[in-house]
Amino acid sequence: MNYLQNSRIEMSFACLIFLVGSLGSMVQAEEVGDRWGTEQRERAYYPIVNVPLPKDVVIEVGAFAVLPDSRVAIGTRHGEIYLMSGIDDKKPNPSFDLFATGLDEIFGLAYKDNTFYVTQSCELTRVSDTNQDGKADRFETVSDAWGYANYHEYAFGSKFDRDGNLFVALGLSQSYESNALFRGFTMKVSPEGKSTAYSSGLRSPAGIGTDEHGALFYVESQGPWNCSCSLKALSPGSFQGHPASFNWYKNAPELGPVPEMPKSGSRIVVERERVKELVPYAVVFPYIRMGRSITGFTVNQTKGKFGPFENQLFLGDFTLSVIMRATTEQVNGVWQGACYPFREGLSTGILNVNFTPEGNLLCGGTNRGWPVRGIKPFALERLEWSGKMPFEIERITIEPSGFKIAFTKPVDKVLGSQPETYKIATFTHPYHGGYGGPEIETSTPPVKSVSISEDGMTASLVLDGLTRGHVYDFDLNALRSSDKEELLHRKAYYTVNEIPLR
Amino acid sequence: MVIEVDDTSINTKTQNAGEELIVHAQRMRMGLALIAFIAVLCRESSSAEPIIPGLFSKHPLTKVQVGELLIGELRCAACHTGLRQSVVSERTAPELANVGGRLNPEYLKRFLSSPEAAHPGTTMPDLLASETPSRRDQIAEALTHFLVAQSSSKFQADEIESKESTNGKELFHSVGCVACHAPRDDADKETTNEGVVSLEHLSSKYHRKSLGDFLYQPLRVRSSGRMPDMKLTLDESSAIAGYLLKERNESAKQLETQDKLVSEGKKYFQELNCAACHKLGDNSAAETRSLSIADATRGCLSKTPSKSPQFNLDEAQTNAIREALSSKTQDDTDKTRIALPLTAFNCIACHIREDYGGVSEGRNAHFQTSEKNIGDDGRIPPPLTLVGAKLQPVWMKKVLFDGESVRYYMFTRMPQYGERNLQDLPECLGRTDTLPSVDLKIPNPEGQSKGEREREKVLRTAGRELLGDKGVYCVACHSFNGKPSPINQGIDLMTTYQRLQPGWFNEFVRNPGKYRPRIVMPFSWPGGVASHTTILEGNTDQQIEAIWYYLSLGRSAADPSGIRGQESKLTVTDSTRTYRGRSNVAGFRGIAVGFPEHLNFAFNAETGTLTSLWQGDYIRVDRSGQGSGSFNPASKLVPLHQDVSFAELPDETTPWPLRPVMTKEQPVNQDPLYPKSLGYQFKGYFMDDAAIPTFMYRFGEIEVQDRSVAVALGDKWVLERTIQFVSPRDQTVWFRALVGEVEAESKREFKTTNLRITIPVAETLVRSLAKDSPASELLLKLSIPQNKSTLTFTYELLAK
Repeated sequence: MNYLQNSRIEMSFACLIFLVGSLGSMVQAEEVGDRWGTEQRERAYYPIVNVPLPKDVVIEVGAFAVLPDSRVAIGTRHGEIYLMSGIDDKKPNPSFDLFATGLDEIFGLAYKDNTFYVTQSCELTRVSDTNQDGKADRFETVSDAWGYANYHEYAFGSKFDRDGNLFVALGLSQSYESNALFRGFTMKVSPEGKSTAYSSGLRSPAGIGTDEHGALFYVESQGPWNCSCSLKALSPGSFQGHPASFNWYKNAPELGPVPEMPKSGSRIVVERERVKELVPYAVVFPYIRMGRSITGFTVNQTKGKFGPFENQLFLGDFTLSVIMRATTEQVNGVWQGACYPFREGLSTGILNVNFTPEGNLLCGGTNRGWPVRGIKPFALERLEWSGKMPFEIERITIEPSGFKIAFTKPVDKVLGSQPETYKIATFTHPYHGGYGGPEIETSTPPVKSVSISEDGMTASLVLDGLTRGHVYDFDLNALRSSDKEELLHRKAYYTVNEIPLR
Repeated sequence: MVIEVDDTSINTKTQNAGEELIVHAQRMRMGLALIAFIAVLCRESSSAEPIIPGLFSKHPLTKVQVGELLIGELRCAACHTGLRQSVVSERTAPELANVGGRLNPEYLKRFLSSPEAAHPGTTMPDLLASETPSRRDQIAEALTHFLVAQSSSKFQADEIESKESTNGKELFHSVGCVACHAPRDDADKETTNEGVVSLEHLSSKYHRKSLGDFLYQPLRVRSSGRMPDMKLTLDESSAIAGYLLKERNESAKQLETQDKLVSEGKKYFQELNCAACHKLGDNSAAETRSLSIADATRGCLSKTPSKSPQFNLDEAQTNAIREALSSKTQDDTDKTRIALPLTAFNCIACHIREDYGGVSEGRNAHFQTSEKNIGDDGRIPPPLTLVGAKLQPVWMKKVLFDGESVRYYMFTRMPQYGERNLQDLPECLGRTDTLPSVDLKIPNPEGQSKGEREREKVLRTAGRELLGDKGVYCVACHSFNGKPSPINQGIDLMTTYQRLQPGWFNEFVRNPGKYRPRIVMPFSWPGGVASHTTILEGNTDQQIEAIWYYLSLGRSAADPSGIRGQESKLTVTDSTRTYRGRSNVAGFRGIAVGFPEHLNFAFNAETGTLTSLWQGDYIRVDRSGQGSGSFNPASKLVPLHQDVSFAELPDETTPWPLRPVMTKEQPVNQDPLYPKSLGYQFKGYFMDDAAIPTFMYRFGEIEVQDRSVAVALGDKWVLERTIQFVSPRDQTVWFRALVGEVEAESKREFKTTNLRITIPVAETLVRSLAKDSPASELLLKLSIPQNKSTLTFTYELLAK
């Protein structure tokens, strides 16, 4: 071996050292913008484990269901249902048993009494295996009470609610109009199979289900009448903001009279006074910073197996291949809450997420159809908690004169007690028929005072008044934990629809 | 063996079997010590010293560094204090918690009695060297009883099925096992014992399941990653285990542990300080002893048997350790922090970095690929020279720790060593490897200025053109977003922006040969000059910027010209296939059914109508957009109609209720309740054992089951459709059987230009669709009796 080169390499190495700085800043610069830049730190707390898929098979996950025997069912965009065993093995190598084929793009999978309730593009279908050979042989239409005749008319199905109802969220025609029956509605399908219109005004839903309180929400995508993606609360007769579906009220007497037409260019906080059925966005996901097309959500009720975020919603983003969290609370009868960055760097566009029996988060999807940051055409990944406690904003809740921020670890009491540690900015969106829209009426309200709880786990912030209809953007970059750790994610976004009276 | 020695380095590498000894000692200061060293080498011709495979690869370490590596790998610090902290992560000893379930107790005993004899080349020291043979056996037996007794399961020999071994042999030789283990010949004998961890002992050590389990997740037992996870599936692990144990499995006697021996074994476990290396229950290690250089000729480093652990070190190893111990300064530059782990983990068996490492001649043939036309870059793992400037930091971690891989054509896999074991390496590489920085300006399509938006459009157009077959034609050899390239299936270009640093991309595309001397990738800008002068006016910098921008678009980047479309032809093999999706021939709620007899039909579930038939291939599916895909018959079809099939007509002049048709001008469905308003409701379908679907629907009060099968008629296949009715009462309904230029051949046979339909006995009505139209419809006035009844129709495709 020739060692003479060593000295030369060392010399050139020395010469190049000064370049490292500029290279570093270049990498930094590239991460500004639509990345959180937290991927490298996140992996220590929530590693991503790739789940190997069978060779030569395309599995674009659209929906999950956990079976009583701990198998996990996957519904795909290609219209198959696979049953996976062994998804929680330390090194996953699950079996994929093909249970059903020939369905059309599954975006909803519920399971009851050995039977799947599958929301596919064309209908809600009961799928069962009557001869018990492991393959579905009966596909019964539970509901096709809506039209399906145009591009982009997606259908997303919920799990059963506490009363055994299923809900189907119906996207608009071409995502703009409502040319076929009930497009832009949510439909309620009772345990007896009766379909009724439940709410109107959806644009392009991408997931529907209940939060930990059992309250029904759906995921809305940025576009007309929606300047950002959001989580929206659904209730009987509610109007979700996009008026294209008003033309079907004549076919749905159960919804009552057609709501007032909202005024484009107004504010949601103004219009909801005038349009009484209008439900404001419960949690706004500021566009790009918190996703460009958020998708199916699930509630963390893993009893700590997934770490510190019990009873919160987890959801993905299709475009940015990230996972986020959301919390909800009802104030003066109106749902609102906050969203938080959680994990970036997934491999494909995330369409849906679900917890496994062992409390890992399965994330699946595809990059088919729209721009996606993740580079795989399709993938199934498992997020798991490493057992290491991240320093995170656990949740933000509203108080009559400010916010309460709960943390996952005690905060540094000196820093935590200084109001200037908490940088808050606010904005609202116009409520208009244009596609997307800016953040307007911005402000940077100072924190008047802050008090830290005895255990250091919560900070109560007092502000000089709160503004309804605004999103509060928290930046806690300056905060440290009691052991001097930086927050894993410095940001959180709270949507104020209502202010509690006391 | 060739030994090259000078005062700064020692390098041992394998030569051919001649065992020739050559000594280069130009600056020899070793005098008599070297003569003794040669003598030892002459005496001990086989590699029985502890094998660290990386030291037999083309490594860059100095003699002191070799010594330091050995001190770490042999775990001197488990007993001794005063040693420098190694820059290589600690090598832990195997987990013993269930060693009795994993390993054959017979082997365990032999191994404990004399590790080197049971497994030549082991790094486990002999702790009983000073004992008599009978005493060694006695202690080893007691230790075995102790270890087996505390294990949660028992060792059970299993039958070896040889049928999977072919696959096991292929995998063993291709995935990368042979980087550290010996390739095997046709008789499955190891072809070398130089510098490899021999596996000849495995059949006496493992049973198939325990070896398979170990291979599947080696880090569970050996957490320090020297035996890495080769990303094997369970089946693959089992196949390799089957291959390695083939016909060599000894019958295993279960060991009935004796309490007396168990407690004796526990005592020895303490006395011999096994816990210094092996964590096991509450057994604690003895206090570590300080090591001074004065000791460096005695104890473990002495050839004289003593109470000290004996490592069976060869002279070169002993000397290297001694030099390392006497060396005053530790070299902990990043260069060392890279070179030492790359050697310890033997990354250099597969990768070149700068002037060290690389696949040895003897192993070269085992590196294979499915894309032979890519050349050696398709089969030999990529160089690590400048890898810290090449890969995005996050991507490097994904490759090292998350099993990420983009060279799916390469059979050799990137092993996973465990994040804990290489956690400093990515940062070290990032600090060390640098390239001139470059600013590839990514335009913002939603930018504020018009100029910015214009520039975006220009770059997007140019990027696409350059990538495609009218430009530099990158997609000739690179797949694009999962879609195959027309020639070679190189790394998917969609991964570029996520994986690579812009500086590397800029350098590499300008001059691929500089970084990969034998790469097949052409120089597209020879001498820095663009050959496509019409694109971006031939400006090289801008062209490269345009490609980088285009690749940054990810999925939103349209396929460049020349990339192959997604083949989506679905076929029917041995059982009937049912597929739901949108279709021009069956509506959005369309269903295509294909029979193994190559007869197919489409059904519109929205209207309950058999809409078309075709003979030949099943369907083509376009999955570029929504849904499971829109389908179209893969052969020429014969259309029937798509309106509702059953209706109540007050009289024979009432026109058939047609489905609403939406147009560009009138996109909204004006009759949204059709055909539910007519009494039709689809209810699904069920499959029989041959997977033939029976459609269920309701018309008014009548429950309908509608089933079609392919039946032979002479030398052709026809569709026989049986419709079953269950009605609460006698009633009359109309059925629209056929639309086209209908011609009655008999009372029960009607045809159009390319279809003959045979109907059941019924009152029929053929009427023109419109005044002066040649097209007509065949309607049947059906008398449906109360309760169950069936009607059968036959559809026969006619050649024109």
